[in-house]
Amino acid sequence: MANPKKIAVGVVAVILVAAVTISFSSYMSDFDNVQRSSQDEGKTITLSDIPVLGSQTATVTIIEIGDYQCPACKLWFDNTRQDIIENYIETGKANLVFIDMPFIGADSISAAEATYCANDQGMYWEYHASLYQLQQHENDGWANIDRLTAIAFNLGLETEQFSECMNSKKYFSQISFTKQKASTDFEANSTPTFIIVNTSGTAERIVGPHPYSTFEKALDSLL
Amino acid sequence: MNNTFGTVYSNPSYILIAIGIFFLLFFPLITISEFLFFEPFIAFSIYPETILSFLLIVILSFFSALAVSMNIYRVKLIKKTKKIGSSIIGTIIGASAGACSCGPIAFSIITTFGTAGSIASSFLSVYEIPIRLTSIGILGIVIFVTTKSLSRECKINP
Repeated sequence: MANPKKIAVGVVAVILVAAVTISFSSYMSDFDNVQRSSQDEGKTITLSDIPVLGSQTATVTIIEIGDYQCPACKLWFDNTRQDIIENYIETGKANLVFIDMPFIGADSISAAEATYCANDQGMYWEYHASLYQLQQHENDGWANIDRLTAIAFNLGLETEQFSECMNSKKYFSQISFTKQKASTDFEANSTPTFIIVNTSGTAERIVGPHPYSTFEKALDSLL
Repeated sequence: MNNTFGTVYSNPSYILIAIGIFFLLFFPLITISEFLFFEPFIAFSIYPETILSFLLIVILSFFSALAVSMNIYRVKLIKKTKKIGSSIIGTIIGASAGACSCGPIAFSIITTFGTAGSIASSFLSVYEIPIRLTSIGILGIVIFVTTKSLSRECKINP
């Protein structure tokens, strides 16, 4: 007669394998959708489509790879970013680009898309800042479509145009492209990840919500 | 109770064990929770929003050090290992919380397990403080019970 313990272990193993397979295939289906969507639109997406904060001719570029639902990104936004803007970006020494790597949940993707819909109306950085200022817990609905539209309204954006942009998934391919670039080209496996690069191609990589002192040292060494 | 602490830590090797366990837990936890960074420069940062989280790591490490070292003493004294398991469980529960949901560990979990991984990672991040408090509570009970048991058993077997 079969051992009940062995049967129980077997059942648990089968359930675990099934759960992993289902989760993995649901995760991978996001990428399938991306490729299909990109092919359908038939346009080339490049990183040059990404908005830049600061002078286009700055010596150093800070590439921030982030997710709008990431608490560590908010910590960096609240505590370090402003000093960098005042001392390096407003002085023309550096500029900043934000590369979306939305992986925490579905709302991360919507939030990233919303920033590009806001960009259509010239409010990318204002919307970007609002998202971090209003960030709550991961996947608790603070970045659902209704809340994203409310943020757009509060910023004075044309909500009809914004909603149309969101509903048509106009920037889904763009976000999927940056997500793929972030993990393949920039080898990011957490957020926030920063690549600081100067015009001669020398780069410094910073992973996590480091204090301002780390950025000061890295930026000064690259200027 | 003071007498029991005095008895255990009158032996310097138990002080060393406690210090060792404290740092063995403290440094990995502050690194995983992104208080301490090693690259590109060594940096340590506590932001106003993360002070509570940092204090809980200090308390958790301290309680784990006390609970485990006292139980090692107890095991050597009366050859019973039951409570050391409870202190390890308390430590593991506390350590599992607070690994940032956007850090490399969470990224691996989410990319491997998809939605289920995302939910698990969010849970550990959102309930970081209650989980750590539960863990500290478990360790506090272990320390209390161990102290009581040591004072009783030491009287019987001086």
